Amino acid sequence: MDVSGILEEHKSRFKSVQVDRLIPVEHDLGLLASYDINMLDEGKLSASKKKRDAYLLELSREGAQMLVNELFNQPTSVDDDSVYAVLPKITTTLPREKPLPKEKPMTRWEKFAKIKGIENRKKSRMVFDENAGEWRPRYGFKGVNNDDQKPWLIEVPGNADPYEDQYQVRRDEKKERVDKNKRRQARNMEERAATERGLNPREMRKRELQRAL
Amino acid sequence: MLLQPKPKNARSKRFLTNRDPKVVENQKTAIFIRGSSTSQVILDTLKDLYSLRKPNAINFTKKNEIHPFDDETGVEFFSRKNDSSLFAVGMHSKKRPHNLILGRTFNYQVLDMIELGVESCIPMHQIKSQACAVGMKPLMIFNGEAFSQDENLMLLKNILLDFFRGESADMVSLKGLELVITVTAGPRKSNGEPGLVFLRTYTTSFKKSGVRQPRVELEEMGPSLDLSIRRTRHPVEDMWKQAIKVPKELKETKVKNISRDGLGDKYGRIHLGKQDITKIQTRKVKALKKKLDNRPSKQMELD
Repeated sequence: MDVSGILEEHKSRFKSVQVDRLIPVEHDLGLLASYDINMLDEGKLSASKKKRDAYLLELSREGAQMLVNELFNQPTSVDDDSVYAVLPKITTTLPREKPLPKEKPMTRWEKFAKIKGIENRKKSRMVFDENAGEWRPRYGFKGVNNDDQKPWLIEVPGNADPYEDQYQVRRDEKKERVDKNKRRQARNMEERAATERGLNPREMRKRELQRAL
Repeated sequence: MLLQPKPKNARSKRFLTNRDPKVVENQKTAIFIRGSSTSQVILDTLKDLYSLRKPNAINFTKKNEIHPFDDETGVEFFSRKNDSSLFAVGMHSKKRPHNLILGRTFNYQVLDMIELGVESCIPMHQIKSQACAVGMKPLMIFNGEAFSQDENLMLLKNILLDFFRGESADMVSLKGLELVITVTAGPRKSNGEPGLVFLRTYTTSFKKSGVRQPRVELEEMGPSLDLSIRRTRHPVEDMWKQAIKVPKELKETKVKNISRDGLGDKYGRIHLGKQDITKIQTRKVKALKKKLDNRPSKQMELD
């Protein structure tokens, strides 16, 4: 059965999507750009405004048609009733706005973890609290670890002074932990600054102590 | 050099780390600055370019004494304050009427600039057409071989690509290709200088075509600018080299020793070392076995 006649008739009802150019147009689909180096009709460009704008419209339409044709040929992925064309990587060189990020030197813990082979496992933000029977954050506001403020009863441990305020002891311990962490962070920053300058952190501390003395 | 304030809470810390250098960068922000004296044409141009660039654009409404070609510190200060790497300065003077300077910064220092004269501008509000959605990624078309030959036009092309780039995306919705920006290089003037550059903006409408690809029809919208190139500032070699460096995380990793046939079969290559022929393992044959002590070998009695 010869359907070519029917196909041709069907096609002729619609306007063509084909665009011909002497020199093939270069496309950078990652940028949705096309670079056409074909000769332009200089006469039309130097003519009256109307003619020029009409010529520019025609040129633009053809250029856009070629780009759209290329885009429709790309592999697609369907997502929520809309069809997406997967774009290739950008080929034109465009400059960055900031220099490349510098490699940060490892902290003491990171070095230790690397040697021991300790991996960082992501913990979930919410934890199920058995006592309350609900999900609470692991830390922070209404967190599970902040329950120390709440206990209505704290047993005095056997070796402690009976007149000591246990609540105060808990508060002091927490403050101590927080300060220790802050000191460690400050130390990490100093060591990072020292290694970036190329000095050994211990040397730098020695020098500072000597200067202080 | 502005002192970076130390963050006092997590929110401000997040704000500052967002501005740090990153492997995959944020979308570039553009600032639109007015010079000490402006004209209606240049104000319309700035306004239209700003609306094309939304949401990553900041429009300065006050006038500033700013001359980027003479003194870069003004632009650099604004760039640093607003964390923007694209700038457009518009001004008007008798010597340079309707002047538009487009430029980029790298690490808050001016990378390159181009000064354009807006010979004619038809702003968006004068062209009656349907408004385009904000923030669309435009299709960009550059017509003319001059864009790959003339130095200044190549710079303009690069700057315009950066300017109208939109979000960097791996995928684009086939229904969202609404905006088209064309830049055409006009014919050279009689004295050999490059001619005008025509920048036109259109909205697309897709029509049925009987095949998979739709028929594209364009309708003019947005600013229609005729630009002439005045001064240019090309980037310094080593700054440009630093700016186009690709971090190794984004470089394509080459997979070695695996290849595909024309039929689609996957082939792998294994490299064995050089074989020591004297130590090849062969079948064990007792007769060839070397005796450790010098016992006379038993001889078979053949009768």
